Amino acid sequence: MKHITYPIGALLAMSLAPTLYAQNGDAKAGAQVYYDYGCYGCHGYGGYGRKDLNDTGSAILVNEEVFRAFLRGRADVAPLLPVTDMPNYPANSLSDEQVRDLYAYIRSMPPNLPETGGVETFRQILEIAEQPYRND
Amino acid sequence: MSKEQSSQEPSDHEVKVGRRHFLKGAASSAAALAVAPTAKAQNPSAFAASYTAPTYQQLQRDTGALTPPAIERTVVRPGSDLMVQVLKDMGIEFVAANNGSSFEGLQESIINYGSPPNKMPEYITALHEESSVDMANGYGKAEGKPMAVMLHGTIGIQHAAMAIYQAYYSGTPMILIVGRDDGFIQAHTANDMAAMCRSFTKWDALPKTLPECLEALQEAYRQAVTPPTGPTVVVVDMELQKEEARELQVPPFRPAVIEGIDVATARDIAQKLLAANNPRIATGSFRTPEGCAAAVELAELVGASASTTAHQGPMGFPQRHPLCGPGADINYDYVLGLEANSPHLSLQRPTVATLTAVRDTMGIGFGGLRDNPPATGRGAPRPQEGTVLTIDAQASIPLIIAEVSRLMTPEQRRRIEERRAAHAKANHEARMAALLEAIEQKKKGWDLSPISTARIYAELWPLIADEDWCLASPSSFSSSHHMQLWDHNKPYSYLGGQGAGGMGYGLGACTGAALAARERGRIVINIQTDGDFNYAPGSIWTAVHHELPMLTVMHNNRAWHQEFMFIQYMAGVRGRGTDRGHIGTTLRDPFIDYAKLAQGYGMKAEGPIDDPTQLAAALRRGLDVVKNGEPYLIDVLTQPR
Ligand SMILES: Cc1ncc(C[n+]2csc(CCOP(=O)(O)OP(=O)(O)O)c2C)c(N)n1
Ligand SMILES: [Mg+2]
Repeated sequence: MKHITYPIGALLAMSLAPTLYAQNGDAKAGAQVYYDYGCYGCHGYGGYGRKDLNDTGSAILVNEEVFRAFLRGRADVAPLLPVTDMPNYPANSLSDEQVRDLYAYIRSMPPNLPETGGVETFRQILEIAEQPYRND
Repeated sequence: MSKEQSSQEPSDHEVKVGRRHFLKGAASSAAALAVAPTAKAQNPSAFAASYTAPTYQQLQRDTGALTPPAIERTVVRPGSDLMVQVLKDMGIEFVAANNGSSFEGLQESIINYGSPPNKMPEYITALHEESSVDMANGYGKAEGKPMAVMLHGTIGIQHAAMAIYQAYYSGTPMILIVGRDDGFIQAHTANDMAAMCRSFTKWDALPKTLPECLEALQEAYRQAVTPPTGPTVVVVDMELQKEEARELQVPPFRPAVIEGIDVATARDIAQKLLAANNPRIATGSFRTPEGCAAAVELAELVGASASTTAHQGPMGFPQRHPLCGPGADINYDYVLGLEANSPHLSLQRPTVATLTAVRDTMGIGFGGLRDNPPATGRGAPRPQEGTVLTIDAQASIPLIIAEVSRLMTPEQRRRIEERRAAHAKANHEARMAALLEAIEQKKKGWDLSPISTARIYAELWPLIADEDWCLASPSSFSSSHHMQLWDHNKPYSYLGGQGAGGMGYGLGACTGAALAARERGRIVINIQTDGDFNYAPGSIWTAVHHELPMLTVMHNNRAWHQEFMFIQYMAGVRGRGTDRGHIGTTLRDPFIDYAKLAQGYGMKAEGPIDDPTQLAAALRRGLDVVKNGEPYLIDVLTQPR
């Protein structure tokens, strides 16, 4: 893959952020797995997407074992209608080592939530909503 | 001198003007001359081996190298001039087309007949028939009235088919004029051309005489705007376009008469609205902007809170109107549904699905248009609890207003005033609470690169809130953040989805909405997904050529991302890993440079932008250009959804 510079750059930058959770995996390698396996498709390039990974308090991310069990234990029956649910990851498609790295990477993702009051755009949006209704 | 001769032998003046235009922008005159059509014919034998292809002469004529055989006749008042007069009388502003000889008579009349010529209707140059119809769809959704499209015989309809299908699904009125030239290229004619799209058009005609043709165009308009609204087709024979009309008069246009409820029903509704302590008006999508205005008048008159679909599609109740929202009390004791469901009574105009029995003569049975669609799956009908009268709400409202006004007592009037004030306060509070909650969601990943889709909508809003804007692109793939952040107060604030989920619609529809916008001092916002863009990007040129006020912001996730997610799941549940899911679903190796592409079509453009802090300034630059009457494109690298 030649042209993956922008997402990988962003992912690696994030993987250097301090982490609260102890883990054995290599977050840098995990960033590559995250990209190659298309996790960003639903979880975004920084852990925010259709399904957030950051600050969710999700029990699935409590430790690596639970996370691995979750990945392995998904249904393996393809539904009749197209869906965008979480895929299944048996060991032959994602090794324990890859899972370890991936977990390390996910846990290293920094939150990206500015203070609402600190964003000028949000201040303006709220100001607009306070204006009286006009429809001319 | 006949017309054909004069066009072959232009005067010196014409030659000079023509050359200058032709050479404008070319690197060198030598390069330009090298591609100029040559008068020297090639050896016809090169084509001799083909049995089914058009003849050499026909091709030569199509490529402009030969004039058609001159038929001896003098035409001073061609039939197609009268057709254009009919379009003028009906207020058709635009006719979009990709040129085809089967309507050359009509095309020539549009550009030359009338004073001024090429105005009402103006000829809009499209690069693909799908684009022309999408333009009419965007225009029709924004204005609630038809524009026209000309389609080349047989092949033009085939190119347009999906776009017609989507317009039908959306119930967008439009007039499709199809050229038919039985004497010319046989592969481009057919006995019954409209049959190719009969199952997904409302009405069609193949007039035999010029008077019949003028009538048919007028009827096509009436049919298109009468519920169930939708595309109509008139197949116009070349003979009729070119015949001498002599003294024939254009018949005066009779507008459509659209039926509403009767007085007794209106009175009954009025009494219930007045008797209720907390009446509610549930609203959907009206037929035209007048429907939205009438619904507002009724809600104000009876002091009812109102629901809206204005953030989901066109012709909705203004979202920030003080009565719009849950109201001061959500225990509604009488709900009147106007193009929306109600547990009590609703008025809903018929949809095109009711036409299937008559129109789907081939028995194709398009899902969602059958009267017995499966109860599950996307697009399955929602259950309806109350009574539904299948009648146009918009045409019914004036009578309800009249009855309410007649029956209202001073005491009721006083209570209604109080109620209105209470609703306004409650709705404002609800709005602010919802907005604060939305912002907490939208700020997630605010500083990320690639840029979050929420940030695009958030940054745009303060820049356009005081403008007269129209969001014409479908928004679900960019996560529809406008629905929570923006105020949809106009009938055209948001034009909704594709109709039948067909990709390739967005750019054309925005271009059509921008035609309406150009005439009305409005701007069009197009949040353009990359996959959709690439089906028919030629509308970029149309937007430049016709100086359309359209800001395109690419939601460039470098993928047909919806399909990427589907494939990911499929590979995953089959236990084969998701690392090859990008094959066939992503637009990488190479990446497409949309700014360059747009510039190639002559549009001002910039990007790709992947730094979120650069976004607002780019949007400002773009809007400055657009407000000045030119389109602009900003390529933004985005998060997938
Ligand atoms: C004409 C047509 N072809 C194919 C599809 C299948 N399809 C559904 S969504 C989609 C991807 C659209 O890509 P894009 O417009 O970039 O939106 P994204 O999902 O990337 O946000 C495709 C190809 C379709 N709906 N219509
Ligand atoms: Mg895309």
